[in-house]
Amino acid sequence: MADSTILNLVLWLPVLGMVALLLSPRGNDSAVRGMTLGVMLLQLALTAWLYRRFDGSVPGLQFETRVPWIGDWGVYYHIGLDGLNVLLVALTAFLGPLVVAGAFSAIQKSVKLFYAMVFFIQFAMLGTFLAQDLFLFYVFWEAMLIPMFLIIGIWGGERRIYATLKFVLYTAFGSILMLAAVIYLVYALSQSTGVPSFAFADLYQHELPVGVQGWLLAAFALSFAIKVPMVPLHTWLPDAHVEAPTAGSVILAGVLLKMGTYGFMKLGFPLFPDATRLFTPALMILSVVSIIYGACLALVQTDIKKIIAYSSISHLGYVMLGLVSLDLLGIQGAIIQMVSHGLVAGGLFMMVGMIYERCHTRELAAFGGLAKLLPVYSVFFMILTLASIGLPTTSGFTGEFMVLMGAFNAAWPQFQAGDSLPLVLAVSAVAGVVLGALYMLWLAQRLLFGAVKAPHQPFTDLVAREKAILLAFVVAIFALGLFPQGPLAKTELAARDYQQRVLASRVEGPTP
Amino acid sequence: MNWSVILTSMLPEHLLLVGMLAILGLEIRSGHSRDGFALALLSVGAAAAAALWLFVTGYLAEPFPQHFLVDPASSLSKAVLIALALPVLLISRDDFAETPYYTLVLASLYGACLVVSSTSFPTLFLGIEIMSLPVYALVLLGLLRAQSTEAALKYLVLGGAATATLLMGISLLYGWSGSLQIEAFGAALQYSDPLAMAGAALIVAALFLKAAVVPFHAWAPDAYEGASAPVTAFMATVIKAGVLLAALRIFGTTPVLQPMLGLVAVLPLLSMAWGNLAAIRQVSFRRMIAYSSIGHAGYLFYALLGDGDGRWQAIVFYLIAYGLMNLLAFAALPRGADDERQDRLDALKGLYRRRPFSAVMIAIAMLSLAGLPPLPGFVAKFLVFKNVLAAGHTMYAVAGLVASYLGIYFYLRVIQYMFMAEQDPAAAHGSPRRYALAASLLCLVPAVLLMFFPGWLIDRL
Repeated sequence: MADSTILNLVLWLPVLGMVALLLSPRGNDSAVRGMTLGVMLLQLALTAWLYRRFDGSVPGLQFETRVPWIGDWGVYYHIGLDGLNVLLVALTAFLGPLVVAGAFSAIQKSVKLFYAMVFFIQFAMLGTFLAQDLFLFYVFWEAMLIPMFLIIGIWGGERRIYATLKFVLYTAFGSILMLAAVIYLVYALSQSTGVPSFAFADLYQHELPVGVQGWLLAAFALSFAIKVPMVPLHTWLPDAHVEAPTAGSVILAGVLLKMGTYGFMKLGFPLFPDATRLFTPALMILSVVSIIYGACLALVQTDIKKIIAYSSISHLGYVMLGLVSLDLLGIQGAIIQMVSHGLVAGGLFMMVGMIYERCHTRELAAFGGLAKLLPVYSVFFMILTLASIGLPTTSGFTGEFMVLMGAFNAAWPQFQAGDSLPLVLAVSAVAGVVLGALYMLWLAQRLLFGAVKAPHQPFTDLVAREKAILLAFVVAIFALGLFPQGPLAKTELAARDYQQRVLASRVEGPTP
Repeated sequence: MNWSVILTSMLPEHLLLVGMLAILGLEIRSGHSRDGFALALLSVGAAAAAALWLFVTGYLAEPFPQHFLVDPASSLSKAVLIALALPVLLISRDDFAETPYYTLVLASLYGACLVVSSTSFPTLFLGIEIMSLPVYALVLLGLLRAQSTEAALKYLVLGGAATATLLMGISLLYGWSGSLQIEAFGAALQYSDPLAMAGAALIVAALFLKAAVVPFHAWAPDAYEGASAPVTAFMATVIKAGVLLAALRIFGTTPVLQPMLGLVAVLPLLSMAWGNLAAIRQVSFRRMIAYSSIGHAGYLFYALLGDGDGRWQAIVFYLIAYGLMNLLAFAALPRGADDERQDRLDALKGLYRRRPFSAVMIAIAMLSLAGLPPLPGFVAKFLVFKNVLAAGHTMYAVAGLVASYLGIYFYLRVIQYMFMAEQDPAAAHGSPRRYALAASLLCLVPAVLLMFFPGWLIDRL
């Protein structure tokens, strides 16, 4: 089988799974679970195969498929792997089986529909990463809303309706303005070349006046920044995370948030380079504000899930900082940080779910001294905590360190040229690392150590299924932390490409 | 007069007429008014097939010169209109056993066919009237509640006002141009002569009234709520499509300039915004659909801002996607004996637990009507706004998109009720109906095909 066929199979397997689930008779929940896990594992195996085959030394797309979809408009079904998306696709496929297995005991209501929706969102997320055509990208991007709306709304907690509507209405508002920008962008392209096209490759080549670029970037950025989320557009996130079922939180933190940063990296910045450079100071400030503000909010939460939700805002701030630094190290660090955050926050949300299943509360005050009650759980929790802080040898260290190095690399020449803002921001971002250590260690201390306290006792430590899931997370975190060369080699060319696209000015003349 | 041309080119109309007469004959012969359903289904199916055949073969003829033209565009319009009536008939089966119902539906379809083929104002007027008159009776036919009479009367009076407005507009245009051809309308748009403008504006106002565009929309919520579900489905899809295709016929490919631009852009924009906002506070499903259809009338008229060829593509695609999805919702809607109660949105609470198939179908319909990808409603909306933007109306396109955002909430609320709310224990269960199931599939299959291969249809428009 050709590799491009395998890539298509990876993308469409969830759809097959979803249709099979929806058509299957009711009642046999364990068969549904087994079948879903099987499909997800098959998808992971195929993705792993493609990941090994992916050659980092070849520029551009690999395993490409390109067939006309809406011929009249120049829309193509065009997917492929490149250095920017290969790690994220691998992350998505990696999290799939873990999410499914993690929900085995937690989801008892409408099991079939739940796994159908997990398949749906898996499809939409992979599609968003793989799409190389703006129309296709938008379709996948927006389609993600539907399953997430249902996952939070049906299987969520107490205030699930409020949380899910807030999530959808927030993100849909961003998307609708992005849609306007998409239509405008493609229209402008077809006006200048005479051939309608939605292909990223064509849009990258297209030259637009800086003023137009600014508006379009603003529209795209609004949509992406809501998804990341960047302060001050982050208020949907804590609600969505807290109310979502564990599987929803893991998907949300693990992959969905990366859609925003991926969108900036793949589309927002390279499509509008001149406007990007114009907005760089503002974007840097927002990134650093997200890092610090998210960390400060995490510090004062009393709900374990909220702490991790706010820590996501902080950690994704690093990704944004790396992307706007436009330094190769920073860009690569941002990519690693995306994957690392997916693993670490995904794992932490999984662990919060496990304790919630046992105690039905996430109030930090209700717990204490779990290290004595649940020794295995505590070991895993500690490892994930340290990875979140960015302890060397874990993936968190690799990502954050590279991003900060990149930010300093980019700031130093500007400082010498008399602009001290980037340096100040880079130094402030380091403060985020300290704050991160503070809130995570404090969380671990209150949860795991001290006087033994728990809502009901005695409860059981992790079962084999849960241990296996967490072991997978931990192995991946250390693998990425200890051997980052492999992933870095696969992304280097693409990161350079991104850097060059954004740095290369395409419009002559003064900036407004 | 060339009879063979008349016979061939008007085959869809003839088949509808034959069906109508056969149903009436059957009633006279058997003495009781039953079983019009099968005949109606047969004749509508045959008429749709005939229209499709005329379209595919590219048939072009003018059986009544200067009045009635059969070209591929009009044949396709007919095929769409008639085919949309098929699911309507299927969901009517369990509500209406009486013959008159089917006769009236066929008569209305006949009128719609005249509309899309007309090249002169008298034919157009005749078509619109033949299309609308049976519907006044249809609204009354269910007589589900006391308000049905009121609804029908309101609809009749406002429909009459629309007729008068249309006639006034036509006569003003005739006074200005001395022609009864619909090209006179296009010509009137090119000049800012007051008389011509007044005539054109009145005609547009009449169309807005018929399609329920703000501020001419007030009759729609009452009429939709008062009529029985199949009739509401018929009004929301076939009649609306007929009016829009009439508008398309009249506007042709003439660009819309100021001052007409204000009318054709601003009122539909208000319609989108108000339809979507007012739908939020509705408690009756059919009333909500009425406001939703007011919003959609806005999108559809918005398409007229685009350039000539794009209009046709956008409106026809939109009508198909919108029609299929509206009908899917009505086909899947559980129905019980107590209409007033069943029509409440609350009755949908917990539907997924009771009847998962219906709930999933309604959810698909709502998501598509909200314009969320990957459902066909998204491509339809994209087409409309793409054309509006390509015609240079950037701000109108952005405003329209923001107005469409307002609509997301109330569609999602239906899904919220069905999937996320606990069931009201007193809710009537309503039994699944075989014919309604067939109607759901009849709508679902083309919708799924449109979702995966929108290009197939767009390339052919």
